[in-house]
Amino acid sequence: MSDDAPKPPAVPGPTVPEGLFNAEFTRRGLIAGAWGAFAAFLAGSAAASARFMLPNVLYEPSQRFKVGKLKEIPLGVTINKENRVWVIRDDTGVYALWSRCTHLGCTPNWFPADQRFRCPCHGSNFNNQGDVIAGPAPKPLWRCSVDVTPEGDLVIDKSQMENRPGFRDRGAFRVAV
Amino acid sequence: MPPYLTELKDKLINTQVWRSMFRGGAWKDTSRDRAQHILGNVWLHLHPARLRQRAVKFTYTWGLGGLSFFLFMILTVTGILLMFYYRPAVELAYRDMKDLEFAVSLGLFMRNLHRWSAHTMVLFVILHMVRVFLTGAYKTPREFNWGVGVVLLVLTLFLSFTGYLLPWDQLAIWAVTVGTNMASSTPLLGAEGPFSSLLGVTNSNDARFALLGGTSVGANTLLRFYVLHCVAVPFLAGVLMIVHFWRIRKDGFSAAPLPGEPPEKKMEVWPNLVVREYIGAILMLIFLVGWSVLQNAPLEELANPNVTPNPSKAPWYFLGLQELLVYFDPWLAGVKLPGLIMLGLIAIPYLDPDPKLGVGSYSIKERPFASAVFLFGVTMWFVLIAIGTFMRGPNWAWYWPWESWAVHKPLPAPTWNLILVDLDNKFGGFFTSQRTPGLRLNGWPGIGAALAAAGGIFSAYFGGGMLLPKLVKGELPFKKSLGVAAIGSLAVGVVAKTLHTFLFRFDFIGKNIPHFGLTEIFYIAAFLFVVVAMGFLLPQKYLRASPVSPLQYAITMLLLLMMLGVVLKMGARLGFNIKYIFSLPGLNLNI
Repeated sequence: MSDDAPKPPAVPGPTVPEGLFNAEFTRRGLIAGAWGAFAAFLAGSAAASARFMLPNVLYEPSQRFKVGKLKEIPLGVTINKENRVWVIRDDTGVYALWSRCTHLGCTPNWFPADQRFRCPCHGSNFNNQGDVIAGPAPKPLWRCSVDVTPEGDLVIDKSQMENRPGFRDRGAFRVAV
Repeated sequence: MPPYLTELKDKLINTQVWRSMFRGGAWKDTSRDRAQHILGNVWLHLHPARLRQRAVKFTYTWGLGGLSFFLFMILTVTGILLMFYYRPAVELAYRDMKDLEFAVSLGLFMRNLHRWSAHTMVLFVILHMVRVFLTGAYKTPREFNWGVGVVLLVLTLFLSFTGYLLPWDQLAIWAVTVGTNMASSTPLLGAEGPFSSLLGVTNSNDARFALLGGTSVGANTLLRFYVLHCVAVPFLAGVLMIVHFWRIRKDGFSAAPLPGEPPEKKMEVWPNLVVREYIGAILMLIFLVGWSVLQNAPLEELANPNVTPNPSKAPWYFLGLQELLVYFDPWLAGVKLPGLIMLGLIAIPYLDPDPKLGVGSYSIKERPFASAVFLFGVTMWFVLIAIGTFMRGPNWAWYWPWESWAVHKPLPAPTWNLILVDLDNKFGGFFTSQRTPGLRLNGWPGIGAALAAAGGIFSAYFGGGMLLPKLVKGELPFKKSLGVAAIGSLAVGVVAKTLHTFLFRFDFIGKNIPHFGLTEIFYIAAFLFVVVAMGFLLPQKYLRASPVSPLQYAITMLLLLMMLGVVLKMGARLGFNIKYIFSLPGLNLNI
């Protein structure tokens, strides 16, 4: 083709109106959008699969249960294996500790002579307040909320728990006797 | 072989039926036939037709990779058989175990064989990794396959872990309780992990909940672990094994060519290597059958989610981890350190500056730095396993192997924190414990001081550790320096003892460290010496002048310093009852 061939007259290109949905539609844009949609699909699938693994209904033992008459609870630590709690009565009240080590979830044993809970899995030690004395447990034992029915039964609710000093000694976490 | 048998064999392998099964026409036992036998067989063609003689030698590979695969096959067969009698439901599982023991012919034997093969497989996979490392067999072009191998090791451990729950006995439920609780210490994704409180993660939507299918080990967990153990993980492991084997083939098989040497003499794989493989497999099977006849796999009482056996021990290959959990917050010991070990192992080939050095032979002396660091890590892991297995008794107290567990042990001493930041009560604490308040600085200045001190300690350790080997320019005489380091460490111990006598009258020292005698001096000296020798003298001698890039150097030193940090922290706990160097309970961040 020779250089002096007549050039076609310049035609004004299609005018592009402003605005998001009127932006110029290019092949590159389409492909980028398609990849974006594909990535969104993959992320959505992963999230949906993860959600699928979280059941909505649990067939686990009730978190709320009675452990006997309040006035019959003896002084000191009462071990309640059935419900995995320790009911503790001191001079002025009763509180309940969840028998689950705050380290990795084993059940510690109560040693009356040492006045300690000692965990068999990694050797954490707690006093009867639930505070960590030795071993790797990072937090004090959890206290469960306690209540008394009109009939005088002590009711423990493990769905409500507290372990901060101060907060755990009042309100729902201690019953006066 | 008597002549009539040879004749019979020749007739048999040349019948039309036999020849139709193995490609290659009439068998004349020529070199070509033997090669064709490998290449024309779907199972055998994973092998090359001919292989370097070194690779066939037993004491080069010890058959560890092949035997690991053979163990996987035994596990598949025995596992499928066991599935015919096992139902993964809480009410039935333990009963089915008892039925396998008492009411099924060879049921107990099959279970024993499955259990002992699993133990052996874990050991062999680990040994296989050590062998591959020591022969430099992870170097170019095998870096990727090394990484696949590390993932396969993790999957092997995960297969053992998921299988551990299925008998639904006390051993099972508590090992799995401990193991899955580590998931809840994951940063951000676990309810008890650092920073997760900021995201609104609770124990009914975190990583542990997804693993358990509930808030504690129960019916959902058993079913989940059954599916993981029998279908999901074996499938994933199978896929990765295909990749692993395919890359072995493509990357030129074991015993990589020795760099700078002429091509070596090769050996026919049929029959030389195949026969060795069969002999190895048969010996392994004889060993496992003998073991399974002589010893029964343990089965404790029915699982009781409310009572933990005392002591409660994981299977041996997890006891190192269980012991590590004694010294660290679960997010470090249960999540971060295992994750770092895995990533660090995968990174090894990319951190190694010389792709040729020590490839294809046991090259411990040619690669002193790499070998020393790797073997130190492996040894540490097995030392932890040995402590967990032999030295721990009731309440996880320290018992020597020759001591009776009936002996009364003194209660563990109270632990204390070096630096504590209490956001709720707005103070920074030093030398604090439950019993001894320590130094307390109130308000934001106190918190700032505590954070600054913690930042100072960690940056001094990691920054100093990283810079020192480079800052000392000349090469130190290694053996002499070791002596100096030993004396120096001892001197630090003595100085600490002297300081202690002066500071003893302050409660925060006197009560937290009530005794400071020869044992404590020894602790300081020994742990400091190991850290100086491994973390300073070794890299100073070998890494300073090696052709590593700055990035490779930084990552290598970071991993090394973290490994030694684990040693230091263990010393601080064992010798001085220090629980955390830095504790920020408000965000579950304890180091």
